[in-house]
Amino acid sequence: MSLTSYIVKQNGVRRSEQFSREKLHASIVAACLSVRTPIGQAEIIAQSVAEGVIAWLENKPEVTSHDIRLAAAKHLQAHHPDAAYMYQQYRITI
Amino acid sequence: MDIISSLSIIALSALIHASFQLSVSVLTLLSGHSIGAKRSQAKVLGMTTSFVIGVGVMTVLLLSFISIVLIDTLGGNVPPVAWAMACGLLLGIGVAVWLFYYRRENGTSLWVPRPIANYLTDRTKATTHSAEAFSLGLTSVLAEFIFIIAPLVISALVLIQMSPGWQLVGIGLYTIVSMLSLIIVWVLIGSGHKLSIIQKWRESNKYFMQFAAGSGLIVLGFYTYVVEVVGRTVGGL
Repeated sequence: MSLTSYIVKQNGVRRSEQFSREKLHASIVAACLSVRTPIGQAEIIAQSVAEGVIAWLENKPEVTSHDIRLAAAKHLQAHHPDAAYMYQQYRITI
Repeated sequence: MDIISSLSIIALSALIHASFQLSVSVLTLLSGHSIGAKRSQAKVLGMTTSFVIGVGVMTVLLLSFISIVLIDTLGGNVPPVAWAMACGLLLGIGVAVWLFYYRRENGTSLWVPRPIANYLTDRTKATTHSAEAFSLGLTSVLAEFIFIIAPLVISALVLIQMSPGWQLVGIGLYTIVSMLSLIIVWVLIGSGHKLSIIQKWRESNKYFMQFAAGSGLIVLGFYTYVVEVVGRTVGGL
């Protein structure tokens, strides 16, 4: 499936970029690993979450990176609540 | 002031310093990124250890620097007006901590300027070596200077009245006690505890920590004012 959604970066300061499934996948895997999830399980969860986000992105030409994070956290919550919690904490820890 | 009273004030100041959370937040983020980047437990432990050492070094440097500045300006005998100013600082920052320390939103966002918070978040994510983690530890203490200046100044005022040997003991005591919360989180992370449990505890208890830190500053300010200003002015204590 090829998506042409563009991601507007935080505060519009950085340039918009095309949605990258790989970046989303990597960030979900990192969130899962940070709560000591085995790598295989983290990969499976990341794949499932990425698919959920891609389905949500269809027919949305432009979204913000914050929207993507919220959508990903919502899907991740169903698979791994602890990882979803850490994923949501990224910009609100400091 | 006798040695026990002096060391007690230093320990209480350091305990108040320990209740400030910026370094703990950065350590939590650093651990999360390091574990998430598939680094080995040894590497994670090395980076977090460097961070904790960085925090300790900057705490020692700041306390020593403030002590030197005060001893140069006031000499070994601190006048009541200097104590009164330090007490005002404690009370003012105590009330500010009560009102502002944590932002009124989810998570553990602190009342530090957003550009500094974003810089620390981005630097934490980009940290891959122990030397960078050490520098991050140094920076995280500086970033919270606006809050920790009050306990540092009171401890420095007490320190400059002590003999050189006891000054070293006081600096060591302050540094160790002020790092207690950080050391506890570091041990928990090193022993394999989930970051989510640590972060959830911090988030659910953040207003208690805020209240404790603000109250501690106000109590210390009031106590110091009574002992060092009222006591010495009236001449009774």
